[in-house]
Amino acid sequence: MPQVPLTDYLTLAAVLFVIGLVGFLVRRNPITMLMAVELMWNAGNLAFAAFARNFGDMSGQIFVFIVITVAAAEAAIALAIVVMVFRHRAEVDVDDISVMRG
Amino acid sequence: MLVLFWVCAAVLVFTAIAVVSSRQPVHSVVGLIVNFAALAVLFLTLSAEFLAMMQIIIYAGAILVLFLFVIALLTIGNQPVDRGEGRLAFQTVPSILSGIAALALMAIGVRSAWAASAAAPPPDFGTVPSFGQELLTTHLFAFEATAVILLVAIIGVVLMAGRKEVRF
Amino acid sequence: MATLTALSLTILLLPLLGAVLIALAGPYLPRTASAIIANAVMFVALVLTRIVALTLGHQPASAQSLHVTLGTWAHIGPLSIPFGMLIDPLALTWMLVITGVGFLIHLYSAGYMAHDRDYRTFFAYMNLFVFTMLLLVMSDNFLWLLVGWGGVGLASYLLIGFYYDRPVAVLAARKALIMNVIGDVGIMIAMFLMFAHAGSVSFDGVFARAAAIGAPALTWIGIWLLVGAVAKSAQLPLHTWLPDAMEGPTPVSALIHAATMVTAGVYLIARCYPIYDHAPAAAETVAVVGAVSALFAATVGCVQYDIKRVLAYSTMSQIGYMIFAVGAGAYAAGAFHFLTHAFFKALLFLAAGIVIHNLGGEQDIRKMGGLAKKMPLAFWTFAVGTVAISGVPPFAGFFSKDTIIDAGLALHHPILTALLIVAALLTAFYMFRLLFLTFAGAYRGEHQPHDDQIFTMNVPVVVLAALAAIGGFLASPLAGFLGGSFGRSSPYGIAGGGLAPSISELNWPVAAGMFLLAIAGIAAAYALYVVRPSLRDNFKRALAGPRALLLNAYYLDPIYHVLVEVPAYALAAFCARFFEPAVISGIPRALTGMTSSLGDAARWWESGQLRRYGLTIAIGVVLLLAYYAFVIHAGQSSEAAIAR
Repeated sequence: MPQVPLTDYLTLAAVLFVIGLVGFLVRRNPITMLMAVELMWNAGNLAFAAFARNFGDMSGQIFVFIVITVAAAEAAIALAIVVMVFRHRAEVDVDDISVMRG
Repeated sequence: MLVLFWVCAAVLVFTAIAVVSSRQPVHSVVGLIVNFAALAVLFLTLSAEFLAMMQIIIYAGAILVLFLFVIALLTIGNQPVDRGEGRLAFQTVPSILSGIAALALMAIGVRSAWAASAAAPPPDFGTVPSFGQELLTTHLFAFEATAVILLVAIIGVVLMAGRKEVRF
Repeated sequence: MATLTALSLTILLLPLLGAVLIALAGPYLPRTASAIIANAVMFVALVLTRIVALTLGHQPASAQSLHVTLGTWAHIGPLSIPFGMLIDPLALTWMLVITGVGFLIHLYSAGYMAHDRDYRTFFAYMNLFVFTMLLLVMSDNFLWLLVGWGGVGLASYLLIGFYYDRPVAVLAARKALIMNVIGDVGIMIAMFLMFAHAGSVSFDGVFARAAAIGAPALTWIGIWLLVGAVAKSAQLPLHTWLPDAMEGPTPVSALIHAATMVTAGVYLIARCYPIYDHAPAAAETVAVVGAVSALFAATVGCVQYDIKRVLAYSTMSQIGYMIFAVGAGAYAAGAFHFLTHAFFKALLFLAAGIVIHNLGGEQDIRKMGGLAKKMPLAFWTFAVGTVAISGVPPFAGFFSKDTIIDAGLALHHPILTALLIVAALLTAFYMFRLLFLTFAGAYRGEHQPHDDQIFTMNVPVVVLAALAAIGGFLASPLAGFLGGSFGRSSPYGIAGGGLAPSISELNWPVAAGMFLLAIAGIAAAYALYVVRPSLRDNFKRALAGPRALLLNAYYLDPIYHVLVEVPAYALAAFCARFFEPAVISGIPRALTGMTSSLGDAARWWESGQLRRYGLTIAIGVVLLLAYYAFVIHAGQSSEAAIAR
């Protein structure tokens, strides 16, 4: 079957990544921001898998696996932090937090 | 194949934009689920069956459910209205510009002439047995390390959840 | 020679020591201690000066100077400035007056200033003045002369403004200082020219090359030196500070603004006689300035009604005579008139001081009158001074003025001498006017005058009166003495020096004419002020216009105000209001503004905002991608292209 060229996959991954990046920077709800981060990871995963298939190297797929695992751990921790920070607040807005100042 | 690719690509992009721009976080989660499904299909076209399953099970199944729980937890009694324009000055426009710049630059990189792809990969490329083989022999260290990462995450979450009142 | 050097150095430094001692220890000692220190210093200086003068005077004519170089003050490239003393008869003449008359005035001040709260400061300033004046006349090079020149200007400023809580006095001091500084600049420019043409600023260096420098450059040097002399000696056009300087205490007026400081210009020009001998144009200018100033001041003095102002204008006039004399080439004649003038002018001021003191500070002669009976000593001494200055023989002024007139005619300055003759007539007139208005007639004042007899005030005036009376007979000894100073370059520079060696050699027709003029002036004054006051009122009414002109000194003060002060204040206001805030403050303000803007900009990154940090990371990523895309990737593809 005619293969989809590599560059198409990579372009798609780039587009997804940028959508996730802009979304992260523009939105203020922390949960939405985390979902944008998930998009960025997936874009990276897509690129890795495309390269793996292209060069016949399994390492790419292994790496996707690692990324999924780490993303899961990170999502857990990040959500725990979000819950702790915003538990008693009325507005769920990242701009209200400036504890990192200094 | 090509048609499948383009359909999935369209779904991916469309849902990604939906995720990023929805007012309600729950809508974003739903969009993200569809996004993951399309991505799993693309993985299948890339001869990565194991990964496609992993994507559905772990990502869509576990992580997004976690998101839903947190949304439910945080929005009891609240109206999670996300105000459109940010209070932070000079944030949206530079962000969008950086995004466009990044895209343009990546496109330049992507457009280079890649080495001619090898012939179609071996038939067992990406199957579970070969994946397991690769994972537990060549990349054993990485596998064990991710186990440690998961352990750290668990400890962290347990510690944080057990805290009494913390005000920020 | 060595002892003479030591003595001369002592003469110079003793007043400095006195001033420092009074300044430092004065506050801790009783009041009179300051007066005693100052007077003791002056007395010792006086004695030592007499000793030095007598010693040198007995030497043969060629060895009558003492030139000592005490070291090199500065060595700047090709210019070497020594630090030395030149004590020749010219310098000694001045030194004798400074220490002699100076001592008498110090003695007088001990009584006159007794009730002043700044008694000690006064004596410190007076000794300082004496030191700087001695430095001026004892130096052997122009730089140290200029140091002394500036020093007397400073002392003058301090002493004119002595009553510092009177705004008028402060303004007068400032005016004097500013005009003096103009003169200082003139001398400095002359020094620059001297260095440029002769490579030296010491007297020897410059005078030896005077002939070689050539008339054009020398003329300019002479003119610039004249600027300095005009400022210091209160000649036209830089004279307006002198009448205002009368705001200072009377002893100050006597010492500084009559006997010594204002004659520094005369000394300067006499000292630089080689320059003026070889630059006739400059010398001519000097003579013109002197003669015109003499007449100018004499006219103004006729209508003034402040006793000290009349004396101030008379000082300006008499100095005009001296300046004319040295400009015309009769250097010794100028020095002789300086000597006699010091006697009678100091006498007049001190006697006037007694009057002012006894009237409780009144200086307006319209409120005086009839004081002859009430203050006999003041009257008789003042009368002696008045007669002396009017040129009545055998008093001193007759001889010295007459010598100058003689010299003027003999050296072919008919017009200028005519001016001087008219000035002499007017001098007799206004001085006797002053005498009559103050001492004759009925008392017109409000307070009862007392007649305090203060020993320290009475003795000096009596001594000065004696000197004014007999000083004229010092002509021949002085001529012989000064012959050692002036070379052969002018007929009046050698023994004979413009002075009649003996009375029998006076130009009798001229002398007789001057005497008659004096009598005429006295008679006119007598008529107008004693016999027929109504005549005077008629004159006043008839000549109201000219009278106003003279009363305001030809309106020169307002003219200077408009020409000089107004633009200066405008410039200062401009600088203060525009230039300073915009540029001088503006530049630091811009710099600090830039720094705080930078700070504000940097603060953007420290907000603690998550999204900000995310944006920063995104921008970093974009930059990295750009680097990859344009540097590495471009390099790779061009390599690939070359390889193909």
